[in-house]
Amino acid sequence: MAPFRVPPWIPALFLAPALAGLLVFRLGPILIALVGGFTGSTLRGETVFVGMRNYADLAADPSFWSSVRVTLLFNLIINPFQICCAMGLALLVLRPTRGVALFRAAYLLPMTVSIALTSVIWTILLEPSVGPVNGMLKALGLQPQPFFRSEGQSLVTLILVCTWKGAGYWMIFLLAGLLAIPRELHEAAAIDGAGAWQRFLRVTLPLMRRPLAFVLVADTAINFLLFAPAYIITHGGPAGSTALLMFEAYQAAFALLNHGRSLAISTVILVIIGVIAVLELRLFRAAHERTG
Amino acid sequence: MIASPARRIVLGALRYAAMAAVAAVLLLPIWWTFVSAIRPGGEIFRYAADVGWRTLVPERLTLEHFRTMLASDMPRAISNSIVVSVVTVVFGTMVNAAAGFAFAVFEFPLKRTLFAFVLLTFMMPFESIVIPLYTLVRTLEWTNTYAALIVPDLANGLVVFLFRQFFLGIPREIYEAARVDGASWWTIFLRLTMPLSGPTIATAALMQFIHQWDAFFWPLVAASTPELVVVQVAIARNITLEQANWGGLFASASTAILLAMIPFLLLQRYFIRTVTASPDK
Repeated sequence: MAPFRVPPWIPALFLAPALAGLLVFRLGPILIALVGGFTGSTLRGETVFVGMRNYADLAADPSFWSSVRVTLLFNLIINPFQICCAMGLALLVLRPTRGVALFRAAYLLPMTVSIALTSVIWTILLEPSVGPVNGMLKALGLQPQPFFRSEGQSLVTLILVCTWKGAGYWMIFLLAGLLAIPRELHEAAAIDGAGAWQRFLRVTLPLMRRPLAFVLVADTAINFLLFAPAYIITHGGPAGSTALLMFEAYQAAFALLNHGRSLAISTVILVIIGVIAVLELRLFRAAHERTG
Repeated sequence: MIASPARRIVLGALRYAAMAAVAAVLLLPIWWTFVSAIRPGGEIFRYAADVGWRTLVPERLTLEHFRTMLASDMPRAISNSIVVSVVTVVFGTMVNAAAGFAFAVFEFPLKRTLFAFVLLTFMMPFESIVIPLYTLVRTLEWTNTYAALIVPDLANGLVVFLFRQFFLGIPREIYEAARVDGASWWTIFLRLTMPLSGPTIATAALMQFIHQWDAFFWPLVAASTPELVVVQVAIARNITLEQANWGGLFASASTAILLAMIPFLLLQRYFIRTVTASPDK
């Protein structure tokens, strides 16, 4: 639709509440983090400029680097893993045979369970001595596992629990992409003698580049900011094995009461998310300009 | 390559088996939570350690855990969460739809820049600014108020974007006709555009409702007094391992899940159509 030319005060009135909200409560905090990262508190509680000290402290702090490592490792595994699971689910429910609509709906249900409740439920399910998951392992004749109680298993367990919640949600986007691929392309490839796997690699994947890229970027942004499970289930432990950056920022602000440090960590997080957001924006723009 | 009929039947059966197995993994945790909320307290963990059909099917039903829940801080938390979510949905929908309308219908200076700003804000998830937002809200002296829970969540870039996308599809002629009849732009927005936008309003409302209902990190830091506690924070607090009242916890968790699941199931058709259309348009 060709837009109407009107006196600028009319669009200004329509835009004002939303833009004011975004400026104050989205842009405002970003500026506070950027500036606040250079401040610290004196013993008398005054806020003073400390230059790069918070960042120098972070750079010299092994627990910060350990948290960075945990967050990167977590993201390097969980994002590809969730996307593979989501793609698997989407392919599984792609052909609309009898009853498939019901399975599609069923796969979405975990996304309606909040991340806090997901954490609560799985804490109980995976409780090593009384939880039903170990009960089931025992019934199958397998060894019970420590899950979140073990330094070696906690991060993997966290990845599986988050995937339980997330896979169905990302499936929606990939399924929409798969459904948009014209059947004729597959039929033509089949006539040319391509097997199912060949068709997936040569026809499906290239056409799914955009939905896959969108899901990858959006999923990464969410997983970089994961907080609730580290707070509710593990408190970052055992031995820092699930101390994700967001949890570190929370601890700095509310356990150590070191606001300069927490804002410095927030700035680090914002820079990472900012880079992801710019990537996302470019994907969006590309899609936008292509279809008009 | 043509599959033989026998091969086809086997592959089809395997596919249904795989779909059923996935459904079991995804749904049984929720089912077990619901079942644990309505069975006697003594049986919750008995059949968790000793897995059998009784793990998933309660022999006796009881509402004792819901009575426990009603005597806890949950009624307060549920009413707080409902107030916060409903107020956010009502005002958020208006505010974001108005902005989406301006971006779709008008030409004005800085339009592209402002729109890029809106896009950028929705790509910075709310969680990324929680800590500095707390600093801001403390400066405003809003900590432990409803305003702290509601106001920062009203303006939402993604919702502005969804409305704009939908409004772009409304033909210009409709607006021209209304303008000839002398309608103001505000009247056109309220009386003409909004009534045409049912599915988009439903999706936007659902998104903002779920975001508030599920909120945990922000309420935890911004408003955690007993008077302002919200559902997610209340439940997460009750899961200390010392506490023995598992039944009450399961009843609370089941209630919180159902209150989010029911609106989702009712509106999922609109939700899926709208979110899957957005990256491509």
